[in-house]
Amino acid sequence: MAWKLDNPLYSMADEEQNNKAKHVWEGESLGGIAEDNNRLPQAVVWLLVLTVLTAFAITFPLWGKRPTAAIYADYIQLMDSPQVQAIADDKGKMEYIVKNAPVGPHKSEQDRHPLTMDDLRMIKDQVIELQRKNVDLEEYTVIGDKVVLANFEGPIKENGEVMRKQPWWDKGYTIDVFYVAYFCIAVLIVIKRLPHYSWQPDHSVAH
Amino acid sequence: MLKYLFARNEDIPPGTAAVFFGFSSIIWFVIGTGLGSFNAAKLAFPDFVMGSELFSFGHMRQVHVFAVIFGWISMAFAMAMMYITPALGNTKLWSEKLGVWNCFLWNVGLSLGLTLLWAGITSGREYSDFPWPIDLYIAAFIALPLAINVWMTIIKRRTQGIYTTNWFFGAGVFMVTIVFIVGNSPEWFNLTGLSEAYLTWWFAHNVLGLWITPVAAAIAYYTVPKVTGNPLYSHRIGHLHFWSVVVFYSTPAAHHLMSAPLPEWLKSFASVEGVLILVPAIAFVSNLLLTMQGKWHMFVENVEIKFTISGVLLAIPLNMQGGFQQTRAINWYVHGTGWIVAHAHLALLGFSTFLEGAAVYYGIQTLLRRKLYSLALANFHFWFLLIGFAIYWISMTIAGLIQGAGKIYEVPYIDVVIAEHPYMIARWVGGTMVFTGNIVWLYNMYMTARAGTEIPEGRLPHELAYER
Repeated sequence: MAWKLDNPLYSMADEEQNNKAKHVWEGESLGGIAEDNNRLPQAVVWLLVLTVLTAFAITFPLWGKRPTAAIYADYIQLMDSPQVQAIADDKGKMEYIVKNAPVGPHKSEQDRHPLTMDDLRMIKDQVIELQRKNVDLEEYTVIGDKVVLANFEGPIKENGEVMRKQPWWDKGYTIDVFYVAYFCIAVLIVIKRLPHYSWQPDHSVAH
Repeated sequence: MLKYLFARNEDIPPGTAAVFFGFSSIIWFVIGTGLGSFNAAKLAFPDFVMGSELFSFGHMRQVHVFAVIFGWISMAFAMAMMYITPALGNTKLWSEKLGVWNCFLWNVGLSLGLTLLWAGITSGREYSDFPWPIDLYIAAFIALPLAINVWMTIIKRRTQGIYTTNWFFGAGVFMVTIVFIVGNSPEWFNLTGLSEAYLTWWFAHNVLGLWITPVAAAIAYYTVPKVTGNPLYSHRIGHLHFWSVVVFYSTPAAHHLMSAPLPEWLKSFASVEGVLILVPAIAFVSNLLLTMQGKWHMFVENVEIKFTISGVLLAIPLNMQGGFQQTRAINWYVHGTGWIVAHAHLALLGFSTFLEGAAVYYGIQTLLRRKLYSLALANFHFWFLLIGFAIYWISMTIAGLIQGAGKIYEVPYIDVVIAEHPYMIARWVGGTMVFTGNIVWLYNMYMTARAGTEIPEGRLPHELAYER
């Protein structure tokens, strides 16, 4: 089990260890099965790199974000306007609100989470109450007829409270970064303890 | 079987336990897919078999699920372990007698468990539906004896090295024992709410990830080099595959609960790990397909390779779906729809069934020293299985997309039911084709045992020409 660390990307085993491994590798027939010592093809290595990058890029909480109370604040403000009051049916009222609400940073989320006048009526008082308390509406999630504090645990704010805003990065990702890094290091060590891939076993010895 | 239960270990011919497991698995596959066809008929034709709650979908569904997971898939795994583990160690199975008892108790316990499920006595948790006495029985008389036999055979091997397949077998029986005991703990400790939900899906996810996927892959690592005669392309990639299964498949359970009030960071963590399931998949598929170099004609000519490589190729869409469907954006759309049912069948009826099928075909011929009775019937089985599965998978995927749209756009439920009706009929047709193919398979293997051409000493089944 001697280690050799002068060229770790080539091999981490010394000559004696490698010779021993080669001897066993060539001298044994494992139920009539042999194994080669090829490296992972380069194209596949790039595919794995792409997979790891994609894994992080595609799972940001931003994709599939739940509706926050903030995205409906402008709608609620328009509800009691004379123009909306003048419209007879709910469908028409909602269309007017969607069309005339100011285009803000929540436009795409409003499009992804459409709702009816009845939905809006159910959350109206709750949103107004939150606005009265002067809290950040992005920290509240709309779940059906309820507006509730979002289930996120972000960094601590200046007032000592935990931020409840949906982050684009959270500690789950941080754990993942370390997890993937440890995995890569561990597998690299396991593989570099094998004889270098430039050596291929001679299968005629045991077979 | 009964005469071997009380025979001395030395008097039981090598391979006996494997043959019993092999035939048990095929019989359970016929029963399991028959139940699947029945259940699919109920969804396609709602008036089919009315009047008894025993035949209602709610009673029958889990009987189908458990017949195929515990009966077909896991018993086929046990069969493969009983003959491949000793073969790779140039030794005998540690205890044929334990293997025979294991098979006997497995059939008894599963029959009892399925009867209870059929009667509506369940724990109420999906994929861990068995009530706790059956869970204890499974741990004590099914999982543990299998694990002991596999570990002891590996320990008592006559080789210095351990081939890749046996890493997966040894680790698989260890991991599934832990997963089974911990995953069923909510019932023992009366856990409720999120703890129960999380552990339920931790179990369901890891039965797939740490039992079915790695053990099915282990079989392919044996079948392809053994039958083609090619060396495994890379021992090194085997390491990457093994460790990435252990690391990345054991962690993403929370991605089954993306809409539940679990901590968001846990979902983020699980979701990244969920995509990283592609790492072992890429390693596995590339290693096996590169091992096939120069032997691709066997994909057409040889039954075991046809099954194995089909299973390996199905791992590609399986992991592409599995990796991405759990991300927040896509899960929002497909969660709770037929898409997931299609995906589960891609894993169990597609990927893993084709790999296990190869192991059972190869094992029964090798152990009984009988060449396959009929290649024509084996091809019939293959194509009915493949086409039937494809019809099922495609129709349920489309039905799932319709249901997803209906869910998101709040289409009235009955309109969604009407829209997906043709796909429910297609599902039934596909499932029934699989069932039909399996009846033919059972007949073919029975006839192989009874009337297959004897394989001379020193020869392997795939070296001889087919006669029928």
